[in-house]
Amino acid sequence: MVGAMDVGIDVAGVRRSFGAVHAVQEVTFRAAPGRVTGLVGPNGSGKTTLMLMLASLLRPDAGRMSIGGVDPVADPAGARRLLGWMPDSLGAWPSLTAREVLVATGQLYDLARDDARARADQLLGLVDLAALAGAPARVLSRGQKQRLALARALVHDPQVLLLDEPASGLDPQSRIALRELLRRLAAEGRTVLISSHVLSELEEVVDDAVFLVDGRTVAGERIAAAATRTRVWRLRAVADASRSLEADRAQVAATLGRAFDDVAADRRDLLVPFADEAAAVAGLRALIAAGLPIVEFAPAVGDLEHAFLDLRASGHAGPTGAPSGPVDPPPADPHAGWAPPHAPDTRPDDGSPA
Amino acid sequence: MNLHRLGTIIGIELRQRVRSVAWYVLLAVFAVILIGMLALSFAAFSLLSGGNDWFFSLIIMLVLLLTLLVSPTLSGSAVNGDRDAATLAPVQVTLATTSEIVVGKFLAAWVSGLAFLLVALPFLAVATLAGRLNPTVIITSLGILIIEVGIVAAIGVGLSAIVARPLFSVASTYLIIAALTIGTLLAFWLGGTALRTTQTTVTRDFDYSALPPTCDPWADVRAEGCPSFDELECTETTTNSFEVARFDRVWWVLAANPFVILADATPPTYDNGYPSDLFSQIASGVRLAQIPPEQQTSYDGCDARGWNASDPYPTTEDQVRGTAPSWFVGLLVQLLIAAGLMAWGVARTRTPAKRLPPGTRIA
Repeated sequence: MVGAMDVGIDVAGVRRSFGAVHAVQEVTFRAAPGRVTGLVGPNGSGKTTLMLMLASLLRPDAGRMSIGGVDPVADPAGARRLLGWMPDSLGAWPSLTAREVLVATGQLYDLARDDARARADQLLGLVDLAALAGAPARVLSRGQKQRLALARALVHDPQVLLLDEPASGLDPQSRIALRELLRRLAAEGRTVLISSHVLSELEEVVDDAVFLVDGRTVAGERIAAAATRTRVWRLRAVADASRSLEADRAQVAATLGRAFDDVAADRRDLLVPFADEAAAVAGLRALIAAGLPIVEFAPAVGDLEHAFLDLRASGHAGPTGAPSGPVDPPPADPHAGWAPPHAPDTRPDDGSPA
Repeated sequence: MNLHRLGTIIGIELRQRVRSVAWYVLLAVFAVILIGMLALSFAAFSLLSGGNDWFFSLIIMLVLLLTLLVSPTLSGSAVNGDRDAATLAPVQVTLATTSEIVVGKFLAAWVSGLAFLLVALPFLAVATLAGRLNPTVIITSLGILIIEVGIVAAIGVGLSAIVARPLFSVASTYLIIAALTIGTLLAFWLGGTALRTTQTTVTRDFDYSALPPTCDPWADVRAEGCPSFDELECTETTTNSFEVARFDRVWWVLAANPFVILADATPPTYDNGYPSDLFSQIASGVRLAQIPPEQQTSYDGCDARGWNASDPYPTTEDQVRGTAPSWFVGLLVQLLIAAGLMAWGVARTRTPAKRLPPGTRIA
């Protein structure tokens, strides 16, 4: 029995390139057992390549990895016993049913046939696919396939879970179910590493986050610095036909002592940058004291998204070096800066792992 | 090699095949072609008497031809097809080893190839019943068919693990089969001709020109004024040189031909010293090629024993006696090719992967 303390993921200095494409350049992080760790990065930042290396499918060019104390390069079989991997695309054998996929996978993990069957039924219930147990995996919808892939990753009750974009294609209800499941799995002492580029989705479930930009993990202090830097808050006053948004905007700017252009309008909301949380608290007090009917006051973007966008905006000041000078507030539409500003995605379309 | 996991992999493969319509269409087309061939052969051989052995061996050859044509489609995309469908990596991440995956796919492809033999079995039975047949011929030829299906399956699965794209690995499998069937034949022919040597023939004969024009020395009753053979003078010996192809130096090339293996492995049947079926015909052809041509031959027409002796021409059976059976050499060559490709394929599919086939995505 592996102790709960041992089943973390440790990665140090891992590197992997495909020819001239340096998919993963320098990745160092630790994912602790009992916690859900998010792997955050834009498309092409090396998330899937890193997952493949952790899943013992790809050999790193350099660096050291450990899955629950087992090196997946030196002892792939040992690592595979411990880890459950959910790929970003589920390939399903064309004519096998959902249940058969799970039974076969269980048997490939050395479960006896009857045990594999019992386990398959249990998992089909867990991911809410029991009604489709007899349907060919091929005819499942994308979300149903995702749930089947998740069940497959859980067949052998792994202590470490590597989930590559598990929520993509899931409807809101399945997404909530996934979140609860992941929380429960982590509470049982498992290590859960989950990658996604949908940050709001990660925000709801992760305890820790590892930021991956252009194949490099971003140092913790830089993330901490980003998190305390200026961020935009969204505020909304009660809609009132007698007052226009522009009037509110002017009043907010005046109350906070800002220039009119410092306060941005976004549909029916106003966006105001504050240097830190203390400034935000002071600002809210002032606005309420000024009699503005504020009903909503919250960060315009989630913590992860804020940190992530900030990191991307600050670009390459060196892998660990903090950027100098104040950082511009993110644009009003937080998703506008999604395209990689520095490294265009040079990956060929025909598909080296991203 | 864990049998439980191996069995699971074979089960996954076979279940998919059994449930696909295309598979049954292929089997049906196979059966239809066989029915057509059988009908044609019956029509052709009913005209001849005693052609039953030829008939059976022809049907077996046809079955071999058809299975050689069908097998690459069953195995040639086993590994890279799964990689394309993203079903390979989820298996690789389980406890199944690379050898188990590749060998499991090979065994599954072999079994599905045998399904075609199963379809052919009734036709073989009909062919057998239609002729007076040596049971050992049927058993050995069936055995060789089973092995050949396995070899093609191994070549196909091996190539599918080496070549990145399913289309190209299927094509490569066909090319290897073409090399073994047609290529060996061409290499034998061209090689034997290229390695030709000079053969010298020394000839001496009666001086027929000395005969008066009306005389026939072979006539039973010698005409008046015509000399007897004893009275005829002999000519000077003449020496002629020709170049002869040296098939004895390249006969082993043919040994790896599946049709030659099938023919050579079945016990030969001779009728009055001459081959009585297609197998024996092909086998004796290959065996005769082993005999080197004599460097110097002589023909002495003046020596009465040269043509008068009652020494009969040696039959094929006599000539073949003492030559080396080649089928196990050929089979060994094929097994080495198949095993080599399988081993290469396993090495290329091993995880954690050091390098990926160009343009592939591991998941």
